[in-house]
Amino acid sequence: MSGTLHSSTTVGVEGRQATAPMKESCEHQADCLKRIQAILDGGASEAEKQHFKDHIDICKPCIDMYHLEKCIKEALQGKVEKKCCPDKIAAAIQAEITK
Amino acid sequence: MTTMPEIMSDTQLQGYTDEQKYQVFNKEFMPHIDSMYNFAFRLTMDEDDANDLVQDTYLKAFRFISSFEQGTNAKAWLFRILKNSFINDYRKKSKEPAKVDYQDVETTYNSDEASETEHTTDLRFETVQDMIGDEVASALNSLPVDFRTVIILCDIEGFTYEEMAKILDIPIGTVRSRLHRARNLLKDKLKEYAASMGYNKNED
Repeated sequence: MSGTLHSSTTVGVEGRQATAPMKESCEHQADCLKRIQAILDGGASEAEKQHFKDHIDICKPCIDMYHLEKCIKEALQGKVEKKCCPDKIAAAIQAEITK
Repeated sequence: MTTMPEIMSDTQLQGYTDEQKYQVFNKEFMPHIDSMYNFAFRLTMDEDDANDLVQDTYLKAFRFISSFEQGTNAKAWLFRILKNSFINDYRKKSKEPAKVDYQDVETTYNSDEASETEHTTDLRFETVQDMIGDEVASALNSLPVDFRTVIILCDIEGFTYEEMAKILDIPIGTVRSRLHRARNLLKDKLKEYAASMGYNKNED
């Protein structure tokens, strides 16, 4: 699940100032985006987590991508209406299996 | 796939008494009915079709309950049956609206090569934060069903890549690349939506 991987040690994304100079462009954007998504999905490998920790603080495009991906994921989880099953359907199922 | 046996397998184990069947059904399956309905609704985009799909899925689950192993992931097992029922029974008659030029989308996003190319969007996270749920849902609904499916499973239902691979019968690598493509497409849709709603007006 998202969120669980991010301890306070991983974090230009959470506010700590990085000491290395910030990169304004990223030459591996497609790969970085995939890695960031895996991190947020909780499906990243150890190598991906390590790479993320080592690089996320110093690359501005990656920090921006991280925020955007996180925000979209949270919007999908929290804002999109979850439809509930009508009671009559649950009742119909029960009636059918006990027939 | 040992934890998720083929639902249509004809080698039923006859492991449960009738009493146990009801018990397993009510304890393991019924608690997921709202998630199942939400999934069915997001696939079919129609309340009546979602009702039928959920009902059919639960009845199939009951019929083949002997192939469900207690203690394994009931939700993923049920989702897999629902997804298969959708593909087999509903997809052809699905009332999917022609909101997108399907052919165009498929051509652009469906080749594996396309997923490897650079995709940038200047969509800002603040813009997404300002959107309401219906706007995000519209963008999601406008995606072709295969892309919509992976986003629903991952982001709305919180399945792991491994669970998704089992539900969809595809390798984990394909789950990841399909999600990646789906999200690129979703961002394009959100951006179009934001532009049409004037969300990005005063930005540099």
